[in-house]
Amino acid sequence: MKRKLIAAVGVAGMLMSVAACGGDDGDSGEKAGADGFKGETLTVWAMDGSTPPGWTKDLTAAFEKKTGAKLKFETQKWDGIQQKITTALSESTPPDVIEVGNTQTPAYAATGGLADLSDLKSEIGTDWAENLNESAVFDGKQYAAPWYFANRVVIYNKKVWADAGIKGTPKTRDEFFDALETIEKKTDAEPMYLPGQNWYFFDGLTIGQGADLVKKEGDKYVSNLSDPKVAAAMEIYKKYQSFSKAPKDKDEATPQQAEVFAKGNVGAIVGMGWEAGTAIAANKKIEKDIGYFTIPGESADKPEGVFLGGSNLAVAAGSKKQELAKEFLKMALNDKFEGALAKENGVIPNKESLNSVLVGNVVAEAAAPAAAQGGTTPLIPEWAAVENTPNPIKTYMTAVLKGKSPADAAEQVEAEINKRLSQSS
Amino acid sequence: MKRSPFARLWPNATALVLFVVFAFPVYWMFATALKPTGDIIADDPVFLPTDITFDHFQRAVDADHFWTLVGNSLTVTVLSVVFSLVIALLASFALARMRFKGRRGFILTFMIAQMAPWEVMVIAIYMIVRDADLLNSLVPLTVFYMIMVLPFTILTLRGYVAAVPKELEESAMVDGCTRRQAFVKVIFPLLAPGLMATSLFGFITAWNEFPLVLILNKGIEKQTLPLWLSSFQTTFGDDWGATMAAASLFAVPILVLFVFLQRKAVSGLTSGAVKG
Amino acid sequence: MSVQTERTDTGTAAAPGVRKTDSSPPGPEARTGTKTRGGASAPYLLLLPALLATLVLLGWPLVKNGMLSFQNLNPRQLILHLTEWNGGDNYKEVLGSSDFWKVVQRTVAFTAVNVVLIMVLGTLVGLLLARLGKRMRLLLMLGLVLAWAMPVIAATTVYQWLFAQRFGVVNWLLAKAGWESMADYNWFGTQFSTFSVIILLIVWQSIPFVAINLYAATTTIPKELYEAASIDGAGTWKSFTSVTFPFMRPFLWATTFLEVIWVFKAFPQIFAMNAGGPDRLTETLPIYAFVEGPGNQHYGMGSAISFLTILILLGLTAYYLRTVLKQEEDEL
Repeated sequence: MKRKLIAAVGVAGMLMSVAACGGDDGDSGEKAGADGFKGETLTVWAMDGSTPPGWTKDLTAAFEKKTGAKLKFETQKWDGIQQKITTALSESTPPDVIEVGNTQTPAYAATGGLADLSDLKSEIGTDWAENLNESAVFDGKQYAAPWYFANRVVIYNKKVWADAGIKGTPKTRDEFFDALETIEKKTDAEPMYLPGQNWYFFDGLTIGQGADLVKKEGDKYVSNLSDPKVAAAMEIYKKYQSFSKAPKDKDEATPQQAEVFAKGNVGAIVGMGWEAGTAIAANKKIEKDIGYFTIPGESADKPEGVFLGGSNLAVAAGSKKQELAKEFLKMALNDKFEGALAKENGVIPNKESLNSVLVGNVVAEAAAPAAAQGGTTPLIPEWAAVENTPNPIKTYMTAVLKGKSPADAAEQVEAEINKRLSQSS
Repeated sequence: MKRSPFARLWPNATALVLFVVFAFPVYWMFATALKPTGDIIADDPVFLPTDITFDHFQRAVDADHFWTLVGNSLTVTVLSVVFSLVIALLASFALARMRFKGRRGFILTFMIAQMAPWEVMVIAIYMIVRDADLLNSLVPLTVFYMIMVLPFTILTLRGYVAAVPKELEESAMVDGCTRRQAFVKVIFPLLAPGLMATSLFGFITAWNEFPLVLILNKGIEKQTLPLWLSSFQTTFGDDWGATMAAASLFAVPILVLFVFLQRKAVSGLTSGAVKG
Repeated sequence: MSVQTERTDTGTAAAPGVRKTDSSPPGPEARTGTKTRGGASAPYLLLLPALLATLVLLGWPLVKNGMLSFQNLNPRQLILHLTEWNGGDNYKEVLGSSDFWKVVQRTVAFTAVNVVLIMVLGTLVGLLLARLGKRMRLLLMLGLVLAWAMPVIAATTVYQWLFAQRFGVVNWLLAKAGWESMADYNWFGTQFSTFSVIILLIVWQSIPFVAINLYAATTTIPKELYEAASIDGAGTWKSFTSVTFPFMRPFLWATTFLEVIWVFKAFPQIFAMNAGGPDRLTETLPIYAFVEGPGNQHYGMGSAISFLTILILLGLTAYYLRTVLKQEEDEL
């Protein structure tokens, strides 16, 4: 955990920010007065699953009490979200605060649709973990505030594993493969449910292999998919996938892998911690069988690379309630609510000092060791276009799983990736 | 003409097979929606649901704002169809019964208008509506659904109007009616089946429309049922019971309308369509 | 096309006769004057609402779309309301890409296959309806109407379920029928199988329109024509080609035209079924325009493709449009 999570946050800086934060908190609150924003409504777009009900309720009450304004959360679905945010940002009354995926933030920052939050950063963000803040900075300016982060873990069915006679959880990738093989032999369960296009898991594998998905050629970025390191990551994925009967041309959301897992006949899935909740919602009985472990890597001391997914909160440049929006950010990201969100969702908070809230959370404890090996997709504005449906990398994955060599599959999609990398602006 | 037993049998046998082919998907939708999940994911499909459950429907109806969406869909569909019928009736009367300069040009205009690929013009429409500050409103939806079905409605109604014998109109006028009275009292009642038939097309189109409402109305209070149906599918993935329940609920109003209007529709459409 | 003239209520003989070639006896003909009350402006007034609606609601988006197609319009320009003309760059890029031309070919082939199947099968089912006894006819009609009335989105969802890899009833049926390898078949894994499902869906939904209308039209064929034909010794086939078909020709023409338009524009069936996949191999022009435009957020490019889509559809239907225009000329 030395490189990524414990970002270079000096103790001095932390103290200072706490002071600044505290002082300012009271300050601006008083200044605005309890009715400074009376009659206004602040609209916040949060993604499906980001805002637990209890947290939302407490925050709304606190916010309305302090500012006198109303707070309206609108939950958004991931499907088609890019187009929705783009068009919304162009409208005269956009949502004021928007949750933006960390990998998509640079693209939106480049469009000019997000407000510059540099002053907010110096006010409340001096202790934001540096690696988590990376995606929110574009051209030296702060265009969003890091909110929460998460990485995938293995969610497994203890009963299936016990039926297969496996004790303990694997510490290396080979041990994991052995366990899956045992399940395949000794039970009639599907050892692992892994569809062919769980692309963020694959992204994690490429990070584990130290592969880069793009490289710079002159002043342009081009695909690096034909790199042997990417192929090595894909081979690992293929091995995992061979233990699954899941469709090779679908991603983990169609069908929701957690719902498949919930049926109780699947040994393991690779997913976000909250997906266990989806499984439990689908089948209450599964709850007692669910366990988690860190995705194991090559050797026991170094877990697998993971995609460090996460979300930032941004303010629409077109919002007419800039001050109110900042009030919201200050409150939502203060230690109380940021800590509560991390605790309730089992996600990594935006500052190191809050990590202690995760102690005792089984998901977070499984996720944390890998987070140190975490990375993201390339943080360039051009990247978001690559992930638009149909995502050529998913096409690549399916092609390899269906028998193409990684080199041939890469060749098949590289033109499309390069086209997308060069088109946006 | 004498027919062998075989000659009598094969049309009936074919008809039976065809009936199954056409009706089965619709039946399967309802059947799946009513079956408990255990029967849905059975290794051998359960063709006759004996163990009926309404859980899936409950789940479908429990979605946020379901009834608001139903209301919106109904409002938008009915209004757009009524408007298009009124406007089309006027136009089709002129096109079917009058001779004037530019008539062919008008017909051509409507025929070409019929080809407009609306799905791919959504961004242009979006920008127009956005700049007119009419986003998140049912008004643009209504008028655009109206125009989507207007050309077809005009061209089809024209056939119906032409099919009403001119003599009827004329004899009404002999009785001292003005042309307008003749229209209202004589032609309009005869056109009723045609109007119903044509309205079916409008109902289906407006009820189904999806890309436009998706981009124009981001607030759920102003959305319509197709969005609900599609989000249902992505949310519930392979929960086919709930998905089929949603599809059933979505389909029922149109199915009822069709079965109800079908006979009139058929006799009418012919006279309309034959004219071309 | 002047519409500003007031109604001329006197209009006795001023207006040109509504119908020149009226075969009715001289009686009604004498009252032509009464009939054209309202005068020359009447047709234009009646057409005015339709025309205005079309101009504003269709013409404006079309013009806007045309303008966008000459712009560099990406998220940045959309959000900041910037207008960046880039001449014909979008068109140059689209027309120069082999993908586009592949999609064009695919769309034309897709349309042709569907329309031929729909027209042939629809005609056969329509003729069958005419042959059936009353009860069987009602039964088949019911089946047809159910398929016809299914809203497209619901129908597409149902087909996904019928052809689902796991627990889909079609795979089960094929496996039961002895085709074991189909038990776990993924219909959406290849271009051919995906298209098969889509075509089945479209044909299934479109046959009823053709069949029911064709049947209804056959009922209007005067019986004497068939009698005359059978006196001449015509069999079933002969009486079809010599009586039914000629009588039906205008109807078949008109329906083919409609089906070409509808199939060519088919959007939800393809998009909801598999989003143009696998590997973008089932994208037809409307899907391609949508994916390249709104999907990839290159709105100018999308507009250019949609403009070309309209042109191609016009090209495909030009012959029919010309015939109809000629016919119109002869008719009134």
